[in-house]
Amino acid sequence: MTNVHQIELDHAVTVSHPRLRALHVDSLKSRVIGASAVLALAVAGVFAVLLVAVADLRHATARETRSKDIVATTLTLQKLVLDLETSGRGFAISGNPRLLEPWRAARVALPGRITKLQRLMAEERDRRASVANLVDLIRSYQNDYSIPLIRIARDNPSAARTFLATAEDQRRTEEIRNAFDTFLSTENALATHDTASARRTASRALAVGVAGLVVCGAFALLFGIYLARSIAQPVREVADGATRLAAGDLGTRLRVAGPKEVSELTAAFNVMASSLGQNQAVLATQNEQLRESDRLKSELVSIVSHELRTPLTTILGFTNVLLSRDVDEQSRSHYLGIIDAQARRLSDLVRDFLDVKRIQEGGLELRRELIDMTALLREQARFLFMETESHRLKLDLRDDRLPVVGDKDRLTQVVANLLSNAVKYSPAGGLVEVYGSGRKGVVRVEVRDEGVGIPDELQPRIFTKFFRGDAPERGIPGSGLGLTLAREIVEAHGGQIGFTSAEDEGSTFWIELPAAETLHGDPHADERR
Amino acid sequence: MLKKAATLATVAWAAAAMLVIVGWRPSYALNGPSVVRITSIEVQHKRVDVAPHGLSAGDTDISRALLYNRRITKKAIGHGEIVCTFTGGSSRVCSGSFVLPRGRIVVGGAIIYRQLYQLAVLGGTDLYDGAHGTLTVTSVAKKPPKDVLLFRLAA
Repeated sequence: MTNVHQIELDHAVTVSHPRLRALHVDSLKSRVIGASAVLALAVAGVFAVLLVAVADLRHATARETRSKDIVATTLTLQKLVLDLETSGRGFAISGNPRLLEPWRAARVALPGRITKLQRLMAEERDRRASVANLVDLIRSYQNDYSIPLIRIARDNPSAARTFLATAEDQRRTEEIRNAFDTFLSTENALATHDTASARRTASRALAVGVAGLVVCGAFALLFGIYLARSIAQPVREVADGATRLAAGDLGTRLRVAGPKEVSELTAAFNVMASSLGQNQAVLATQNEQLRESDRLKSELVSIVSHELRTPLTTILGFTNVLLSRDVDEQSRSHYLGIIDAQARRLSDLVRDFLDVKRIQEGGLELRRELIDMTALLREQARFLFMETESHRLKLDLRDDRLPVVGDKDRLTQVVANLLSNAVKYSPAGGLVEVYGSGRKGVVRVEVRDEGVGIPDELQPRIFTKFFRGDAPERGIPGSGLGLTLAREIVEAHGGQIGFTSAEDEGSTFWIELPAAETLHGDPHADERR
Repeated sequence: MLKKAATLATVAWAAAAMLVIVGWRPSYALNGPSVVRITSIEVQHKRVDVAPHGLSAGDTDISRALLYNRRITKKAIGHGEIVCTFTGGSSRVCSGSFVLPRGRIVVGGAIIYRQLYQLAVLGGTDLYDGAHGTLTVTSVAKKPPKDVLLFRLAA
């Protein structure tokens, strides 16, 4: 998990810079931009081809239109020349001025038509010569013959009616007609060619347009498929994974692959799934602990009930005997001793509960006074063996005095607890050894028994509150608070507590407390300070 | 000196004889039909009136004109002279020659109307050597007398 986080962190660092992020070619953004660019290029290419085709079509159409215009203009020009000829000849023969009207109109219209034809043919370089020849013939006919003929007809009508005049007229107009025919046949051929070319170009443009639409459609389809595979499918997989996760399959993991954003999403999903798994494990552990705590509390209630009820029953029983029967002095004294012991036991039990409550609330207060652990150990050993006669005691104190600074009542409580446990968990006749020694500034106390010992699997929990191991099954009384209190008290004095134990061989509990050096010099020095 | 001149004359004579023998023609002679359009402006006119007084057979018109081709240059490109002898009424017999940059054309024939007439091309020199065809003349202005000459030549 740490590795995953590290990988994610490294990954985030790698791509965190905006410029680097922008340059990340494997990102979804880059892929979409790239695909869009390819599509745009394809569309642009198709449009470019279409534009070229349309331009070709327009050019061909314009060429066709111009050819038709040239033909129309030429035909108009030919008609004007014909008007010049027929009208002029008619006037020359008849002398009727009215016949000159078409001639005059043709003279007025000719320059404009000639200019238009020249303009239309301006781009046809290879045909300028034929146009120039045609225009020369027309102008020559008009200026060199037709106009002079009209003047001659006015001045000398006979001269205008000669065979020569008629023949010259026919000769010139024949030349012009031939020129017109040649020009028009060429122009018609070109117009036909241009029309065919325009149709071919239109067909080609249509084909290119259809092909372009097909290509664009194919590109758009490919683009859609690509987007679906790059985005929709990974998102679908993430959604499926989330559904499985929500259904409780915390082992769901997604394959980290694909574009950067998608791989980041799947990686984040995997991290989330791992985190959920971990949190669930933690919750399970806490739940287990809560259950264990609940079980311990139930057990405590049972213990407390039992522990309170047992001495109370004893007290009530013996009190009832003393009140209802006449007993001798010796028995009376014995019964009162039992009542006293059970009352003390009740008192100790209540005190332990209060101490535990106080420790839990952080309210354990210690007095600091100079204590001789040798005296304390002797006293507690004597008290204990006043109560039991079925165990043997060995007290081994290697120093005359073992001075420590602390709360005498609390330390007495610790030692009494260790001795009481040694007796409780030892079989009748068992040996209980108590050692006390001081060395290197540490006072060490050991209580060793030959009891049932503590199984290995229970040893880690031996200082746990209310934990009593298999004591209830063995019928050994207790609250499960003694060792907890002992550890709290010893550690509050700056000391340590521990044990070694082997099942069915016995246990050795030890405590170590800082030695009070002042005791060797001036026993009351510390108190004065 | 005289000997050298005599030698050159002999060589020239021999060369001329050879050319006659092989039928030599100028390399720039017309090699097909062609049309030459020229504008002429009369610069001199003289009538010789023989008896009886007034227009009668035998009277002669002598005219001289400068020739122009405005497409080439505004200056005159040559000149022409034509002499017409009246034969009765307005009929006359004319002969003339036109000197052009690349040769001379000789024409002749009968004319009835001065405004529009046609003469035969009888021959020519240089480029127009051996040429024949027609000359059509159309009067386009009176003062000064201006004509359009249209030579239709065949080689």
